[in-house]
Amino acid sequence: MSTYESNTGANVGNLQALTNSITSVASPFRAYLSDLHGKYQSLDEGAIADYIPELALAQPEWFGICVVTAAGQLFDVGNCDQLFTIQSISKAFIFGLALEDHGREYVNSKVSVEPTGEAFNSIVLDEATNRPYNPMVNAGAIATADLIKGNNGTERLKRVLSMFKRYTGRDHDINVPVFLSEKATGFRNRAMAYLMLNFGMVSDNIDETLDLYFQQCSIMVNARDLAMLAATLANGGINPVTQERAIQEQYVQDVVSVMLTCGMYDASGEWTYRVGMPAKSGVGGGITALVPGQLGIGTFSPLLDAKGNSLRGLKVCEDLSKDFGLHIFNVAKGDRDLEDWTAGRHQIDDW
Amino acid sequence: MQVTPPWNQRIKDFTASLNCSLTANLSGLRTMPKVVSIHSYRGGTGKSNFTANLATALALQGYRVGVIDTDLPSPGIHNLFCLEPEQTEKALNHYLWGECPIESVAYDVSANVGITGDGQLFLVPSSVKADDIARILNNGYDVKLMNDGFRSLVKALKLDYLFIDTHPGLSKETFLSIAISHVLLLILRPDKQDYQGTAVTVDVARQLKVRNMLLAINKAYSKLNLEALTQKVEATFDETVAGVFPLSEEIVQLASEGVFCVNFPDHPISQEFRKVAQQIAEV
Repeated sequence: MSTYESNTGANVGNLQALTNSITSVASPFRAYLSDLHGKYQSLDEGAIADYIPELALAQPEWFGICVVTAAGQLFDVGNCDQLFTIQSISKAFIFGLALEDHGREYVNSKVSVEPTGEAFNSIVLDEATNRPYNPMVNAGAIATADLIKGNNGTERLKRVLSMFKRYTGRDHDINVPVFLSEKATGFRNRAMAYLMLNFGMVSDNIDETLDLYFQQCSIMVNARDLAMLAATLANGGINPVTQERAIQEQYVQDVVSVMLTCGMYDASGEWTYRVGMPAKSGVGGGITALVPGQLGIGTFSPLLDAKGNSLRGLKVCEDLSKDFGLHIFNVAKGDRDLEDWTAGRHQIDDW
Repeated sequence: MQVTPPWNQRIKDFTASLNCSLTANLSGLRTMPKVVSIHSYRGGTGKSNFTANLATALALQGYRVGVIDTDLPSPGIHNLFCLEPEQTEKALNHYLWGECPIESVAYDVSANVGITGDGQLFLVPSSVKADDIARILNNGYDVKLMNDGFRSLVKALKLDYLFIDTHPGLSKETFLSIAISHVLLLILRPDKQDYQGTAVTVDVARQLKVRNMLLAINKAYSKLNLEALTQKVEATFDETVAGVFPLSEEIVQLASEGVFCVNFPDHPISQEFRKVAQQIAEV
């Protein structure tokens, strides 16, 4: 039976890929996520964003959880194929692109990095410098979008889309009805842009920049994409699956630190204290959160709390942080060891 | 004056603690469910027959046992449990399409095979309707759902054992059932095609870090030296042979209308099934 020898080693790449994906499906960690999904599926408080009709089409039961490790292992449960608009989550990544386009000093001169404690849509600028407070509130995000280079609107949008592709490993589209609705009704954002123009904080190319801003918010993603975005940051800016660099190494810390201080709207302080993961949420129902060096989390559930954060997503991140000791400032050992649960099936029998 | 040697007490304590941990271990074993996959690379090796007999042998010992037919393209094990397609309005297919929870398609077949004690036997059949099979072949299904289904079934029915009867060859669901199994039982016949295929499957199982693997040789013809055969197979695959089953006219005669070890409890083949079941229980 010499065939035994000849069969080993054939097509190892494909076999490895398939066994890895099956190992993830069968792992205790995915079973843990599945239990979390079951635990919070019944949570039906909160409300779906309805300031434009397209967002109100979301179903309250939609709920997906995805985790990608810095080693590229992927675990997903629930509605992880369901597309939704990225909304404010885009802001963190556009900030990274602006830094690559202009460098830290120039970007800092146009937008500060101070948490506001105000709602995301507040019209308020720093009195001394006229800068918007941070890139995560709408005013700051518009000022940041204004910095994205390109000869025209199309080119700038294409640069944004290809940046997201570097992070997630797949092509992204714009949800056109959402974009047009945001554009048609975004008077408040338009007012902010003109206020900033008045203070010379944005260029006079306002219509194009606002289009870009509304477009970046209308990019369609799923929970898996959000986990890949976060995992790429957690992996030092390199997509852990495709191994492509998505953002220059030196700017990873800028994006991640602003996510930690300002990512969860005006609930960022409480979030940092309780969960301790740099994160960004969007009113589409997404949350992207990371543990540097370890993993990225993407959650999707459109039911939002009063501050605009996904309720089920908050709970999932809080449980993960607590159960695996993932708070970035945690020094105590968690109840569960992440590596045992993601890789070692032999130590843990969770049946 | 006699001094009580302190050893006495120490030995007493020691044996008491031993007993204690022994009991704890035994009860621990009983409550931890075990997933057993029965697989072969090629068809016609006796997967369904083995699954039905081993599952029944354990149910007869008083365990709660579930059997799930993941052979969606060519289901058949329901025949051995005397479950007619008319009695099974819904099947595994319907769970995979999101139409019902998996425990709602688990049928209690204990009475059909004469289990009367504490034990219970459940079967989750696959649909034999051509339309249902075509729908699965056309659209596929999410292998994650299958995994979640196994887990819910074990929980909902409080199973001690879950037996997974598989489609021959390698597929996503084969990979999954191997990956989650506590015991993988690979069946092979003394035949070059089977040897080659088993080698491939053993490779895959090791890559999937299978917890325990056992081999069973089926349909060994009478002229073979069974001991030499066992040694040869064990040496080739470096895994334990749990049982060797001779080619049997009696099994053919039963024609899948019942479970052999229930119909012929004293037959040597039934004894061999019980031997394999014992090894599965002890793993």
